[in-house]
Amino acid sequence: MAHDTEFHVHHDSPEAIGRRERLGVRLLIVADGAFLFGMIFSWFYLRNLNVNEAWLPKGVHTFSTASGWVAASGLIVAAIAHRLGEYKRELRNMTSIVVLIALLVGGYLQWHQMAHMPFITKDGADRPFYNGAYASNWVLVAGANMFHYLVGAFVALGLVLRGYRTKIDPTLEVWRQRTAGAWFTWIAIAGVLCALATSFK
Amino acid sequence: MTTLSHAPASSRPIPNPEKSLITKLHMGTGMVVGIIFCWGTYFAMKAGRDMTDTHNVNKVLLMSMFAWSVGFLLGIGAFIGPFRWLIGKDLTAEEQLFLAGDGQGIKRYFRYCTDHKVVGIQYLVGVMAMLGVGGTMAMMIRTNLATPGSHFVSPNVYNSLVGLHGITMIVAMIIVATGPFGNYIMPIMIGAADMAFPRLNALSWWVLFTAIPVLCSAWFLGGIPTGWTAYAPLSDQAGPGMNAFLATIIIFAVSTAVAGANITTTVIAMRAKGMKWNRVPIFVIGATISVALAIPAFPTFMVAMIQTAMDRTIATGFYDANVGGSGWLYANLFWIMGHPEVYVILIPGVAALMEIAPVFVRKPLFSYNAAIAGFAGIAGLSILVWAHHMYMSGWMPSLNGPFMVTTEFISVPTGLLFLVLIGTLWRGKPWMKLPMLSVYAFIWDFLIGGITGIYLSDVPADNYLHGSMYVTAHFHYTLMGAALTGAIGGLAYWFPKMTGRMLNEKGGYISFWFVQIGFNVLFLGMFIAGSQGQPRRVADYAHLFAHANLISTIGAYSVGIGMLTLLWAIVHSWRSGKIAPMNPWGAKTLEWTVPYPVPLVNFDTPPVVTSDPYGYGRSAK
Amino acid sequence: MSDHDNEIMAPTPGARIATFLKRKDVSQTFWLGLFFTAVFVVLGLWAYPKWMPPVLSKQMQANEDIMIWFTVISAPIAGVVLAIATKSFLNMHRGDTPPEEGVAIRTNTPVVIIWTATSVLFCIVAIVWGLVALNTESIAAATDAPKSLIVDVTGAQWAWSFYYPAQNIHTHTMNIPVDQPVTFNIISDDVNHSFWPVQLGVKVDANRLVTTIAHADPTATGPLDIKCAELCGLYHAYMETSGAVQTPADFASWVSSIQATGGVEQ
Repeated sequence: MAHDTEFHVHHDSPEAIGRRERLGVRLLIVADGAFLFGMIFSWFYLRNLNVNEAWLPKGVHTFSTASGWVAASGLIVAAIAHRLGEYKRELRNMTSIVVLIALLVGGYLQWHQMAHMPFITKDGADRPFYNGAYASNWVLVAGANMFHYLVGAFVALGLVLRGYRTKIDPTLEVWRQRTAGAWFTWIAIAGVLCALATSFK
Repeated sequence: MTTLSHAPASSRPIPNPEKSLITKLHMGTGMVVGIIFCWGTYFAMKAGRDMTDTHNVNKVLLMSMFAWSVGFLLGIGAFIGPFRWLIGKDLTAEEQLFLAGDGQGIKRYFRYCTDHKVVGIQYLVGVMAMLGVGGTMAMMIRTNLATPGSHFVSPNVYNSLVGLHGITMIVAMIIVATGPFGNYIMPIMIGAADMAFPRLNALSWWVLFTAIPVLCSAWFLGGIPTGWTAYAPLSDQAGPGMNAFLATIIIFAVSTAVAGANITTTVIAMRAKGMKWNRVPIFVIGATISVALAIPAFPTFMVAMIQTAMDRTIATGFYDANVGGSGWLYANLFWIMGHPEVYVILIPGVAALMEIAPVFVRKPLFSYNAAIAGFAGIAGLSILVWAHHMYMSGWMPSLNGPFMVTTEFISVPTGLLFLVLIGTLWRGKPWMKLPMLSVYAFIWDFLIGGITGIYLSDVPADNYLHGSMYVTAHFHYTLMGAALTGAIGGLAYWFPKMTGRMLNEKGGYISFWFVQIGFNVLFLGMFIAGSQGQPRRVADYAHLFAHANLISTIGAYSVGIGMLTLLWAIVHSWRSGKIAPMNPWGAKTLEWTVPYPVPLVNFDTPPVVTSDPYGYGRSAK
Repeated sequence: MSDHDNEIMAPTPGARIATFLKRKDVSQTFWLGLFFTAVFVVLGLWAYPKWMPPVLSKQMQANEDIMIWFTVISAPIAGVVLAIATKSFLNMHRGDTPPEEGVAIRTNTPVVIIWTATSVLFCIVAIVWGLVALNTESIAAATDAPKSLIVDVTGAQWAWSFYYPAQNIHTHTMNIPVDQPVTFNIISDDVNHSFWPVQLGVKVDANRLVTTIAHADPTATGPLDIKCAELCGLYHAYMETSGAVQTPADFASWVSSIQATGGVEQ
């Protein structure tokens, strides 16, 4: 950002600032990756243990194998679209809009799945509960995808709005695109890994 | 300086910072908005919900706690930066200067201030407050255990004291060295003008700040029945106070991730010209390795907390065996975080002492490379040892052997840390000032902590020792005897640079001896009780353990007197202590080349480094 | 200068070590080291047997042996570290100005190598000891299985209960006969507990809906304390019961007395 360079960090070049910001986001991605690891560990560990034969109790419905990919589709499209915009600068403003739309649509699809979960049962006191460890793990994974969609949409919206501003330092903004690309790529990878994990029912 | 923008400077409107919203926000506005959000959420969610259903109680309480945190951050202006980024109207130079606290005096400590030196002081005060609260709880625990059947507090209060003392101290120990010194001192030490992400710096502190009242609220909600490890399924079963614990950790994990990314990026990207990796001060290396380890370690704890919260609110069954859940899942996720986390705690304290020893012995740090190998080896191995906390859980007995192997091997890099320190001491004449005393205390305390760790890491011995007071004594020797001692040494060392005054020596010495003698009496007594067979986390115990417990309690009171003396010394010195010269210790690291008050951008001209900071000593005969 | 003169001037490694050992600070450190080593040896040999409970099983003996001998083995390490630290401490300089500069020793590669190699060696000793003990234990558990006394242990907030399937008795105290291996099947009715018959030196968590197993070989008679070693809620501290390792005759008569009252201990 233009005005960033005036005061802070001793007039560092946009290149230095941009690299630094990308490193910071990559480190936060490491943290997010550890969170994903915890979720996937949870999925496979409980599936393996099958305590009380209740990973998937009899009669409980699951989502289809394809559903995980449907949920991740918006993330994947967004990541690809953003990469195109990174490499072809003239396409940037248009691809930013595509990214935003992909994330909004994908987020809606994931939300729709969460609103229609087939494995919630009522107990003796007529209170709903998640029937089986598959159910519990599924909703956590879906929630994580939703979080990624929300943060991704925020970043994408920012890129769209900023793309129309003339007062922003273009060199630094190129770096910001790369940094955003790191995030979009990561959430797409996370979506794919979640889709793979949830296909093991 | 690069070209700023396409438009000529004269046509760019520069907002008057006095009119910017940023100038009107501070801790007070944060608290107002936070409380409004909290109560608003509470009453809005309560309406129409059956509050006899514990799931609803948990939902309402959790959301209210998060609403407090988000509301406070909104009210103090934490979201202004991201919002302005979103709409493409980034903060101006004047606004950034305002955020850095330029010319605001003491008010900047109560604002969203991006100056790393302000954040360092905020962390120092925060840590002291947490140590005070955690320490008071410890005194109550030991008072209850002074004699068998004392009933000083009820079992419910006692169990809550144990759990809340534990989590308060763990959080305090995680930040005790990297918070104050990693923020205030470290950027100056590497010759930087500020941290890589000044706004994230402020965010990491204020997010942590919001977690403190959330944690304290546990007392008003019935306490917690679990230890600080919050094992499931007991945590699923627990009353409303458990929500405070869960929310605290989830909030704290955000603070830690942000601080970790900030410190790591700063050290990688912003070292002064000439500061190659082999010229970086060892404290910087240690603090960076510590926070870099925390980044991948903490999130699994967050997963476990979110899963517990989900079990308690929307009736998932991660830890409910009836629906396929298992407490072993919790234990694995927790300890995958928990073991690296104890090294996150340990390494900065040791690194601070390694920074201190050369200065006061007037010799180079012995084998800088061995120190790095020690820290790196510990950090790397620490992610492979977690299930030694679960040897007796029955989760997978076949893996006990492999985890025993990896755990025993951690003693090799740990041993290197001892070598570095005793090698530095060898053939030196130590200047026996306050910081140096801590080096000796550490050597004794960590030796005991380390050796007792070897017994615990051995599965057959752990058969007896797991879940006993022996374990409690061991980890207090390492976390308190090593990490806290290191941090106190660091405080005595860097106090002149952070406050402009010398820490009162007499008070410091009195505190040191009361604390260290009391500490050893307290926990050596506890080793005896553990060896005799006393379980841990018990509100009462058999008469067999009476002597050992009484000895421990007497030691605890000595520690209490010592810590209160230290508090007095800090407050008194801060206000009216001897004015410190620029470099009272004759040290060679960069922070001692700047005056107090340290200028806003630390250095008038960025320094150029030509050697490492351990060039002490005359040649050997 | 001739080659002969050069030979006289360069000291041999043996001579260098001898000179080193004659130095005052080295010999003082050496004696301090012996003192601290002796302290730890005494600690291991005297203190642990004094503090730890009576040994009533092979497993408890193995535990106690580890505590004693690991202390003795680590005594020299403690000795070296504490000796150097103490010597340094006693050499202190007080006052408001720093002391004169010390010797500029940046590193000493042979020392680093020897130190690392020694700690690896200690590590391997500890690992091998532990693995052998583990292996012995698992072999014993497997071979003992057919002749083991089975005790089903249930932990519930906040009491232990026991069921002896072969004898068909439900009890709240736990007696076992000496010289017969015993296998515990442990489960919880609610939260995690940890089954700890202290003098037998074994311990395993009790989990809900999953059975865990512990095995012990009692070798001497005496009273048993059965405690809970995992915080399990409000009355965790009171979740204890008692029992004993008995002679076979005493055990048999205890079993009979319970069977006589309908198989449930009063």
